[in-house]
Amino acid sequence: MSRVTSIPVPALQSVVLELTPPNLVRLSGTITSKEPDPELTAFLRALQRAVLEDAVSELRVDVSGLTFVNSAAIRVFVDMATWVQREARSAYKLRFLTNRRVTWQKTSFMALSSLARGVVVVDHVE
Amino acid sequence: MQRKDSAEFTLPDRSQPSSGHFRRGPAGPSTERQGGGGRVLLSINCAAGSDMLETTHAFLSSYLNNRFRPQIAQRLSLAVYELFANGLNYGSVTSDVMLELMQSSSLISVRVENDTIPARVQMLAEHLQRIRDNAEATFLEEMRRSVSGGAPRAMLGLVRVAFEAGLPLELTVNGRRVSVSACCRD
Repeated sequence: MSRVTSIPVPALQSVVLELTPPNLVRLSGTITSKEPDPELTAFLRALQRAVLEDAVSELRVDVSGLTFVNSAAIRVFVDMATWVQREARSAYKLRFLTNRRVTWQKTSFMALSSLARGVVVVDHVE
Repeated sequence: MQRKDSAEFTLPDRSQPSSGHFRRGPAGPSTERQGGGGRVLLSINCAAGSDMLETTHAFLSSYLNNRFRPQIAQRLSLAVYELFANGLNYGSVTSDVMLELMQSSSLISVRVENDTIPARVQMLAEHLQRIRDNAEATFLEEMRRSVSGGAPRAMLGLVRVAFEAGLPLELTVNGRRVSVSACCRD
């Protein structure tokens, strides 16, 4: 049984999380809290552990509906890539699904894919 | 007595010259006034350190989305958030942080003004110079620093405004009073 299915999805204030096993998570809304929500970071960490346990080759992170994030939230995505890079076991790729019409997504994920080459892949869904 | 979290919102939306003319202060590393004035669409004053960032940003994002094209609104929304966050975080509690949205015939600008300490002014001027020299490299560097942690903390906010939103940043200093503005073409 997939470990991803057993991860509880938190209900957060401004961002909606949807988890579709085996390997898709969708974030929509906005993230503007000063510090990243601990529930969000814990959820993403648990998801990344589960993906690793399930030996899935890639985790798809659909951020196309995330219309605004602050700098603290960008660090959440940078951390996700770092977790994969630091994982000693055979790791998976992070595939971010983005929307070209959302300004922050274009530059942030382009930069992230260059910082975490081989780990982060960026696709446009719109 | 003013509550810590209180703010004054004004929505004049009438022809009115932008308030104040800044002269270069004694230690002023910068610059000319941007945009040559224009009318103030909106002005917000609140105490430095107050918890007004998220609500103000939500309000202003809605306002910008209703008033400007989506691409313009998105870029200005980012500028509002990051400039105001800086003002609230680093502003001196002895005076208010002021946020203004201004429009001239072809430019829309966001300006945040606050008092701060000289060391912070110096740091801000150096950071803005790095951004002016190479915004993309600074953006990558700050993203890298956000992973490694350590002090000083990564400063992604202003470089996001310049690189991500493509809005030039201007710093004006008059003594302890610091003003950072970003503007874009309508």
